[in-house]
Amino acid sequence: MRSLGVIYAIARADFLERVRRYSYLVTLLFAVYLGYAAATGRVMIRLGGYRGPYTSAWIGTMMALVTTTFVSLVGFYIVKNAIDRDRQTRVGDILAATPLTKASYLLGKVLSNFLVLASIVVVLALAAFAMQFFAAEDRTFHAWSLLSPFLLLTLPAMAITAAMALLFEALPFLRGGFGNVLWFFLWSFGIALPEVTKVRQLDPFGFWSVTQSMMAAARAGIPGYKGDFELTIVNQPVKVAPGFHWNGLDWTATALLLRLMWVAVAIAIPLCGALFFDRFDPARSRGFLRAKSQPKEPTAEEGAAQGRAQMLPRTAAPAHLTPLASQARHSSFIFLVAAELRLALTGSHWWWYAVAAGLLIAQLAAPLEVSRGPLLAAAWIWPVLIWSALGTREARFGTSQLIFSCPRILTRQLRAAWIAAALVAALTGLGAAIRMAIAGQRAGLLSWSAGVLFIASLALALGVWSGTSKFFEGFYTTLWYVGPLNRVPGLDFTGSAGGHLTSRYAVVYFSIAAALVAAAFFRRARQLGRT
Amino acid sequence: MQLQIENLSKTYRGNVRALRDFQLQMGPGVLGLLGPNGAGKSTLMRILATITQPTAGRALWNGADIARDPDALRAVLGYLPQDFGVYPNLSAAEFLEYLAAVKGIGGASARKRVAELLELVNLAGVARRPLGGFSGGMRQRVGIAQALLNDPKLLIVDEPTAGLDPEERVRFRNLLSELSGERIVLLSTHIVSDVEAVATDIALIAGGRLVAHGAPEALLARVNGKVWEVVVASGELPALRQRHLVSNTAHRSDGVHARVVADTAPAPGARAVEPSLEDAYLAALAAHRDADSTRIGA
Repeated sequence: MRSLGVIYAIARADFLERVRRYSYLVTLLFAVYLGYAAATGRVMIRLGGYRGPYTSAWIGTMMALVTTTFVSLVGFYIVKNAIDRDRQTRVGDILAATPLTKASYLLGKVLSNFLVLASIVVVLALAAFAMQFFAAEDRTFHAWSLLSPFLLLTLPAMAITAAMALLFEALPFLRGGFGNVLWFFLWSFGIALPEVTKVRQLDPFGFWSVTQSMMAAARAGIPGYKGDFELTIVNQPVKVAPGFHWNGLDWTATALLLRLMWVAVAIAIPLCGALFFDRFDPARSRGFLRAKSQPKEPTAEEGAAQGRAQMLPRTAAPAHLTPLASQARHSSFIFLVAAELRLALTGSHWWWYAVAAGLLIAQLAAPLEVSRGPLLAAAWIWPVLIWSALGTREARFGTSQLIFSCPRILTRQLRAAWIAAALVAALTGLGAAIRMAIAGQRAGLLSWSAGVLFIASLALALGVWSGTSKFFEGFYTTLWYVGPLNRVPGLDFTGSAGGHLTSRYAVVYFSIAAALVAAAFFRRARQLGRT
Repeated sequence: MQLQIENLSKTYRGNVRALRDFQLQMGPGVLGLLGPNGAGKSTLMRILATITQPTAGRALWNGADIARDPDALRAVLGYLPQDFGVYPNLSAAEFLEYLAAVKGIGGASARKRVAELLELVNLAGVARRPLGGFSGGMRQRVGIAQALLNDPKLLIVDEPTAGLDPEERVRFRNLLSELSGERIVLLSTHIVSDVEAVATDIALIAGGRLVAHGAPEALLARVNGKVWEVVVASGELPALRQRHLVSNTAHRSDGVHARVVADTAPAPGARAVEPSLEDAYLAALAAHRDADSTRIGA
């Protein structure tokens, strides 16, 4: 019983601390927007070009599916800061010195994660009510049909998301940006798990159960139905198939048990995480992709020097300081760009450079279409963790006051940081640019330039506005997967999927980049207290 | 070279008033800003360092409003915040070279300056080690070095000796004294001995207001003849504290030797002693609190 009390206390404090932050308001606004988009028919389930009538079962399931899909992806990034907050606020050091067990701590944090995600689900469940009321295609409200999908599909999926977010925080090698990028692929895999494994029980998000049930009803009710299922964003109204009726999921005892099994898995995940959790012991923390996040042991010579620095009498008159010449105060802007570039690249492993160099050589050697297609795409996901630090470094490491009290921060430091990020994109994708230049592909080069500026601008804007790197990591990875990797025209900012529209897309991305840079400068100016 | 603070006020959300009509004028030398926790010292430091904006009033650097043109001050400003971070993957030298570039100093001048500063703060031997492995005191010394990178005309140091060992503290005091000749140094602290050692001028702040301002001698003169040493039994000490401002106590074999600030002898046998800056500071704060409670009562 005492453990339950401790778990409750941990969860309560964490939840209260979260909901009293400005960022929680933004989270709720995201939920309201998602609810609005789904309720007004922008996000929709479509089978064979049709949808079912808006009954309680259809609306409840559709909204629950939208919630499960979007919130399990985005929600991960929203709640993946429970342990980090205790690290940053140093409350973790206090907790570590108490008899609190790792399991109780992690379970309390999972519960808090879950409550935050559940509050988003509540907003979307209310939107489902509103949708049925305003759509008025079926005025009979069936509370169970409307709410059971939220309760039995979405909430267990949220529990899994909450637990995975915490597990990623507890495992040192998944704590940082690598984990944020990995989650997107893991989430995609989780959605497709029953399809890939052919084991229908392995359906943590409930996506497969719903699609199979709806597709069975569509086969019976939609003439010429070929077995497609889309959860999609639409711009035009979708027709209702007259003979298509779907009465909702059949919640048999087995189906219920399967959903409960995922709740049990969600409880088991932090218990596994407890085995690896460092309990705020910095000596046990290990960086993964950022090589030098934990300093190396000093060499004998360094140790002796450090010893001297600490042991020798030091109260004598200070050493000489040469007065700074006035021209030395106005150094070239290039020095600052070089310093920002060095700062961005510091801490990367040798193998990071090796892979980047390999991709660069491959771009030069491969056929042109491969070079500007998959190879450029690969080259522009590789530095994601370098770009994601842009605009967030000052907040993350607490150097804001040191940096912001320097002159011309907006016109020098922020501009230099942005240029450094663009240089990273330009250098990693240089092979494709050279190939296009040789082949005389001007439109391609234009797109490539737009891509370079777009990446740097997106990283800067998301970093400066959010103060954290994970939103860029999540958003950029998703955009990269849909655009450059799967070559969806319009979303492929590398321009390789543009065809004859390549130049037009390039202009669009130049414009977006300009808007993003303006947004970043505006925000930073506000942070500097200058607007 | 002059820094002038005119009716500066700062109110945070929730109507928390950190500064109220603060006025001060300073020229070259070390101004020690003394005050209890929550007095508004750090808010004043942040405003003067152009990190935050005042709600009312203004601060003028050589006649120019620093809120309107912060870059004019930033170019000649050295600022050591009370709480700051470092980039753990960079070495001390790399971190300072980076900040030098941000401050507009680059190339050979920056490298030379960084080397001299690392020598100055006794970190030359560990200049190439990642900052992530530095102790709190060593990081503080990096902070001191970065504040001096641009040879500042205005040096603002907020609780600079926090985390330094006694030797480093003395060394830092010496450094401040040496630097103060040709610049304005604003030293904010609640450690009276730091101010006593280096300040050419002292400002006392409490409740966001300027309580007293003047040379150390002037502040000491206020309590001249008003500091007493009295020996009492341990049991009598609480009653003595109730009646008078007790600035220090020491247990001896003959009883408790209490240092009391009072207009007249607090007890028979009380001996007048030489006042310290700590006595003057505590007396000024007590007077301010009395005046405040009178204001509220009225």
